[in-house]
Amino acid sequence: MKQSRLPLVITLLLLAFFYLPILVLVITSFNASRFGTTWEGWSLHWYRRLLQEREILHALSNSLIIAVSATIVSVILGTTAAFALHRYKTRLQRFHYALIYTPLVVPEILMGISLLLFFVAIGMELGLFTIFLAHVTFCISYVAMVVLGRLQDFDFTIVEAAQDLGAGWWASTWRVLLPLLAPGILAGGLLAFTLSIDDFVITFFVAGPGSTTLPIRIYSMIKHGSPPLINALSTLLLLITFMVVWASQHLTRESS
Amino acid sequence: MIPTAIVFMVAFKPTDNYGGIGPGWTLETLRHLANPNYPAIVWRTVVQSFLTTTICILLAVPAGFFIARANRFWRQLLLLLVIVPFWTSFLIRIFAWKVLLHPEGLIKQLLVFLHMIGPEVSLLYNSGAVLLVMVYTFLPFAILPIYAAAEKFDFHLLEAARDLGAHQWQAFFRVFIPGIRRGLLTAILVVFIPALGSYVIPDIVGGPNAEMIGNKIAQRVFVDRNLPHASGLSAFLILAVLVPLLAVLALQKSRDRAAPLIQEDA
Amino acid sequence: MSEFLEFDGVSKSFGNLRAVDQVSLSVRKGEFFSLLGPSGCGKTTLLRILAGFENPDTGRVLLNGEDITALPPNRRKVNTIFQNYALFPHLTVRENIAFGLRIAKRPRLQIDEEVSRMLSLIQMEDQAHKKPSEISGGQKQRVAVARALINKPQVLLLDEPLAALDLKLRQRMLLELDLIHDEVGITFLYVTHDQGEAMSLSDRIAVMNQGRIEQVGVPAEIYEAPRTSFVAAFIGDTNFFEGQVTEFCGGDYLRLSIDGLPDLLCFKDKPLQGGNLVYLSIRPEKFHISRDRPLLDDRHNCLQGKVVDVIYLGTHTRYWVRINNYRLAVIQQHSRFLLDEKPIRWEENVWISWHADDGFMLERYSESDETLIGLPPEKAGEAVEPPEDAAETGH
Repeated sequence: MKQSRLPLVITLLLLAFFYLPILVLVITSFNASRFGTTWEGWSLHWYRRLLQEREILHALSNSLIIAVSATIVSVILGTTAAFALHRYKTRLQRFHYALIYTPLVVPEILMGISLLLFFVAIGMELGLFTIFLAHVTFCISYVAMVVLGRLQDFDFTIVEAAQDLGAGWWASTWRVLLPLLAPGILAGGLLAFTLSIDDFVITFFVAGPGSTTLPIRIYSMIKHGSPPLINALSTLLLLITFMVVWASQHLTRESS
Repeated sequence: MIPTAIVFMVAFKPTDNYGGIGPGWTLETLRHLANPNYPAIVWRTVVQSFLTTTICILLAVPAGFFIARANRFWRQLLLLLVIVPFWTSFLIRIFAWKVLLHPEGLIKQLLVFLHMIGPEVSLLYNSGAVLLVMVYTFLPFAILPIYAAAEKFDFHLLEAARDLGAHQWQAFFRVFIPGIRRGLLTAILVVFIPALGSYVIPDIVGGPNAEMIGNKIAQRVFVDRNLPHASGLSAFLILAVLVPLLAVLALQKSRDRAAPLIQEDA
Repeated sequence: MSEFLEFDGVSKSFGNLRAVDQVSLSVRKGEFFSLLGPSGCGKTTLLRILAGFENPDTGRVLLNGEDITALPPNRRKVNTIFQNYALFPHLTVRENIAFGLRIAKRPRLQIDEEVSRMLSLIQMEDQAHKKPSEISGGQKQRVAVARALINKPQVLLLDEPLAALDLKLRQRMLLELDLIHDEVGITFLYVTHDQGEAMSLSDRIAVMNQGRIEQVGVPAEIYEAPRTSFVAAFIGDTNFFEGQVTEFCGGDYLRLSIDGLPDLLCFKDKPLQGGNLVYLSIRPEKFHISRDRPLLDDRHNCLQGKVVDVIYLGTHTRYWVRINNYRLAVIQQHSRFLLDEKPIRWEENVWISWHADDGFMLERYSESDETLIGLPPEKAGEAVEPPEDAAETGH
């Protein structure tokens, strides 16, 4: 059957579209000149400058601390939420589902401002902890959705088989359900981690004066900073991202 | 059950408080909302979001179609390629566009060289730039649900349609598109609603002429330190978001009710 | 013989659907017992109630004298072979089989020993290290059986285990299951909709329909002496006749007057009086079909008709013969070399005869069960006859 070439063409164009800015960015980061428009030869000058920037490292460590802790907490809470949602079909759960689903569709700015108002209303001081809380809130939703999706596709006759063979609730969950759900939970965790590290808008709203995360730092650099430094930083981040994604693909391929 | 209760409480946190920062806020905020600038901004926000959504869907459907039909290896590769930019920093990607569209940037130079635009035209700091970057940002969000729906789609149906006399395009529009309805709806939601609230993109690549609601809200919060006004605007945005959301929910519910339930044997 | 496994007045509903309706059943120790019925008849639900995955609304389940109705599935000495086998995808064949023993915290050495024994029983020692995704359907089934049997359950439940296999494999697995049952001696409770499986494997069969048990008996009983029209029509094929008792002939026989046919002689299967309504079931192979009028004693019935359909099946031919309002299904075995004979063809006028002993009276008759008999459609041009049952009162 003769197929139209159009979808293929569009897909390829899209991919080119996706990667164009990234490529340009990477290349210009090696540009020795200050302004990205004129080429003055290859240089690692900017990378050297980057590593000297203390504030950036500080922001990075903040981001990591928050991301790791938010991921752990949201994975635990999100997974239990997914279980509750899957198991019980009461009215309460439908409300629960709507609640969990909301952060996914609401624009970040609304989340940001409502969290800000909430913290202000209860008199909590803005700082790393408020960022942490905010991240946990939306990360739970993502983790819950991913795990819930896995649960819905899960073949529960296997759990019945485990029970049939003598396993009680605990044993069948621990030995059968969780090992098989693990990839989904991990995927959720990875997603949460990425979202937390990368989040800007919500963090921007609930951050305090001393608590900068990497995205916030980047934003201020974009507004007032030197472009080449940002290029270099971006390229580094891209590299790290590629490695992480490659690693996770490798891991999931091994387990499948 | 206890973890569920905790989750409940935590999820409850982001509820809106139109906190009375200072007395007598109600009327003042309402009056403030009647600012003549606002309708233009609101309109622009809606239009931009709508355009973004439309373009994203138009591009995502063929892409999703193609990827779902590809064999295993290509499928994984393509999905990876689509997702990877999504994993890189959001801000960085916007910044990259800012560089690209810069008055002395590559693209401008190329276009001038091709005599497509004059040298004094600025690619940056206008609604066009905002639209471009918004499409760029939201496209993966559109592709994924459409791909997910396309993957579940039984492509034999298209063959059946051809067998019955439909040619390619007819089959596509009459069979495939309805077949991925759910995915389409999700994609629309997932693009349109965040687009309404986008703030960073207009902030970085738009200019004063391309302001959207998001910008105004941010301005009220950080520049003017006027929380009540900010929340007033947010409330308005919430309403704007709720309308499509509820519409989609209602659509889904009516469709679920119409579909007959098939009972498996005892 | 004390009843080993008993269902006592068990009912289960799902919303408005009565899946199991007051079922009482006994299974003997070591039996191969089948629950046979169409989709939706409740057989799987009954099985799951026994396994512990469903709680009955009413009634009890007794195993070896003990009331296990309230026991959770992991505490019952019952193991299940699931329809899709439900092998643990993240464990190897060996680990799958060992699962039950590991849960029971048996010593390591003992587990290894027993698992090895099982592996050699199902002849899969070489595949012990593989994961379920790497073995074939037949092998999966064997692993499922081994995994269940290693726990030495008192009852083994099999939920349509052969449904997922293709024909040849199914036939082979049938034999294997039979062998395993003979070797191991455990009580098997087998659920299926396939009569061939049930009849060939079982010591006894319970035929179920719409949540109720229609009949329980050995396969031959079920086939030759069906109690209800459902059993008669669901298993194999049959012909139904409705008639009134007109005359008693000797102690054992009576005559029925049937609408559209001459009076028929049949064996008196139950106590009756003149004028009673009787429903008769006669299996197609009990009829004899011939071109010429056969010479028979007065214990036989003899009718004339016309062949309207012929289906050749190798070992036998199935004919549909029209006699007035009726279309009878007749099976003729070919015990001689067919090509030397002149087989009966379409449109031929034939004689149908049978011995009065060979029909059987039904206890219960329901008109809807007639649809289970696959009557061929009327050919265009042939006069459309009224349906077999002229609307008589009550069933």
